[in-house]
Amino acid sequence: MIILQILLNGILLGGFYALIGVGFSLVWGVTNIINLAHGAIALLGAYITLFLFQHYGFDPFLSLPFSFIPLFIFGYILQRFLLNLVVKAQIFMLLILTFGIEIFLVNFMTTFFSADFRSVTPDYAGESLIVGNIVIPYIRLGVFAICVLITLLLSLFLNKTWTGKAIKATSLDIDAAMMVGINPAKIFAITFAIASGLAGVAGSLFSLTQAFSPSVAGALTLRAFIVSILGGLGRVEGALLGGIILGIVETLSSYIIGESYKNAITLAIMVLVLVIKPTGILGKKYFAEVKH
Amino acid sequence: MKRAGLMILVLSLIFLFVAQAFSADVIRFGAALSLTGKLAKEGNLVKNGYELWKETVNKKGGIRVGNKYYKVDIKYYDDESDPNRAAKLVEKLITEDGIKLILGPYGSESVFSTSAITEKYGALMVQGGAAADKLYTRGFKNLFGIYTVATEYMDDTLKMLRNKTPKPNTVAIVYSNDLFSTQVAQGAYASAQKYGYKVVYYKDYPKGTQDLSTVIVEIKAKNPDILIGCGHFQDTVVIVKQSKDYKLNPKAIAFSVGPTLPDFITALKGDAEYIFGSAQWTPTLKYKDPVFGSNANFVKAFKAKFGVEPNYHAAGGAAAAVIFQRAIEKAGSFTDINRIRQALASFNEETLFGKIRFDATGKVVGKGMPVIQILRGQQKTVYPEAAAEAKPVYPKPAWR
Repeated sequence: MIILQILLNGILLGGFYALIGVGFSLVWGVTNIINLAHGAIALLGAYITLFLFQHYGFDPFLSLPFSFIPLFIFGYILQRFLLNLVVKAQIFMLLILTFGIEIFLVNFMTTFFSADFRSVTPDYAGESLIVGNIVIPYIRLGVFAICVLITLLLSLFLNKTWTGKAIKATSLDIDAAMMVGINPAKIFAITFAIASGLAGVAGSLFSLTQAFSPSVAGALTLRAFIVSILGGLGRVEGALLGGIILGIVETLSSYIIGESYKNAITLAIMVLVLVIKPTGILGKKYFAEVKH
Repeated sequence: MKRAGLMILVLSLIFLFVAQAFSADVIRFGAALSLTGKLAKEGNLVKNGYELWKETVNKKGGIRVGNKYYKVDIKYYDDESDPNRAAKLVEKLITEDGIKLILGPYGSESVFSTSAITEKYGALMVQGGAAADKLYTRGFKNLFGIYTVATEYMDDTLKMLRNKTPKPNTVAIVYSNDLFSTQVAQGAYASAQKYGYKVVYYKDYPKGTQDLSTVIVEIKAKNPDILIGCGHFQDTVVIVKQSKDYKLNPKAIAFSVGPTLPDFITALKGDAEYIFGSAQWTPTLKYKDPVFGSNANFVKAFKAKFGVEPNYHAAGGAAAAVIFQRAIEKAGSFTDINRIRQALASFNEETLFGKIRFDATGKVVGKGMPVIQILRGQQKTVYPEAAAEAKPVYPKPAWR
């Protein structure tokens, strides 16, 4: 019975990992930027939710647009006026730049919100759906549902809208995309904006289930990284699958081997995937292709 | 230029003589404290404890050695929360400033590094700012500490709970895998066995973890009567939140660190209710004190001087200084380190921090840890009974 509960926990956690991973994966797949600031951007969302909740009693679920929109704009500006300048540079330069942004954001948050661990606890926190011996906290269920919904919406957006198709086209062949009138700089900026906005939403949801401080930014980025590797770059369905696999692997290994070894096991799985199928479980070749 | 040099020489000579003449009636203590850096908050509280002690003693005329009263002076250095720097500064205190009476810094790491220096130079340290057991396993002769050590942190909590009805039989212990918490957990395990509990869960988790849902689910499957968490502030918040999420409802929840901090209540609000915590000291303890008169007087004097209620950091500093002073008075000398050490080794007096005795390694024995419980949004001392402000609530009501 306990194993069922743990599997369920893993799946619910996986929904969150999918959401934090999908933006990271999209940016990596389309612009070839490994955004080390992704976790820090997500935390900005968490602090927006905390701020609205503490000062205005805002329901955390209703605050999602308030973390999506500002971070969407933030992401757009960041890519358009900073990252685009060096997007053609070597990968090393991009890593240093995004790492620098991460350090800046973490320090910014530490200054404004202190290094204390926070959590957002609305009145209904702790209420759970109980089926036999299985306990499903409503918040985790809600977070999972929203994560899956947003991931599917993103998939629809990429496949059905002009902008979405343009993003996919740019990731496939940047020169051909330019030939049909797509401005890659703009597409890069929109991609980064979407990824940042989604990270913000993920962060808001994170604040509901776990305690957070600016120091957990790195751990979030690492999860996003693993999800992308597992699922395959730039693939929405991949992120969903990768997230759920990561969630299950984490909770199962924590149960069977011990919480202290969880991270080691997770990283071992990632290495395994890289060795056996470097493009990720659902990855197709072109999405991970190096474009310069 | 030459004249200026001469002037400086003469002036400094005069100053030297004056200082020497002046120092004849003064006992000088030294302390390297974290006045800035990441432990600045705690370091400054310890300093406040020292300062209040100094002021109180000097107001009474000073420390009595033989038939003479000596005023107290404390020389401070800022170690910037760096244990290595603290060690260098203590070396400077001993070798350059000629001070052999060292008041301890805050934090186990700093006490660890600086006590090695005091040992090396045959200086003496009394510290009220570190609780690691490893401080006392190095065969040092010149270090005395008044914090109950890590392995004894949960002992009083388990002792208090054993006679409650319905009688608790099983204990789950979960701990962060850092040194301090591991030692606390080991001690809790030993205490649980001593008091006849069955330990049904005993596992660690990585330091700084954010999600413990699997651990909570596992503990829930064992259905323990008591849940003991040995970790840090953030872990306690995670454990409480997720216990509520997964309806883990033991009859008592106790933490080694966390509930004693005001932030615990701010972070958890109503969910903090009925949770137990271990404290080195609380303001309501009813002890006598040779300098302040009583613990209550210390609290009053501290409030009057600094405008806030003291916490255990400040009390630890003041108590360490009080014990140092009493040992000097008993030894009848402030220069004979050997005799002061002997006075400390045979020390057995009530102070604001409790009844203090040291074992052969210099660590305090039998002091115990007062137990607090969060009741109606406030920390209330519930054990030992003599100091209790309220009766402990047990069993803990289920999560709402």
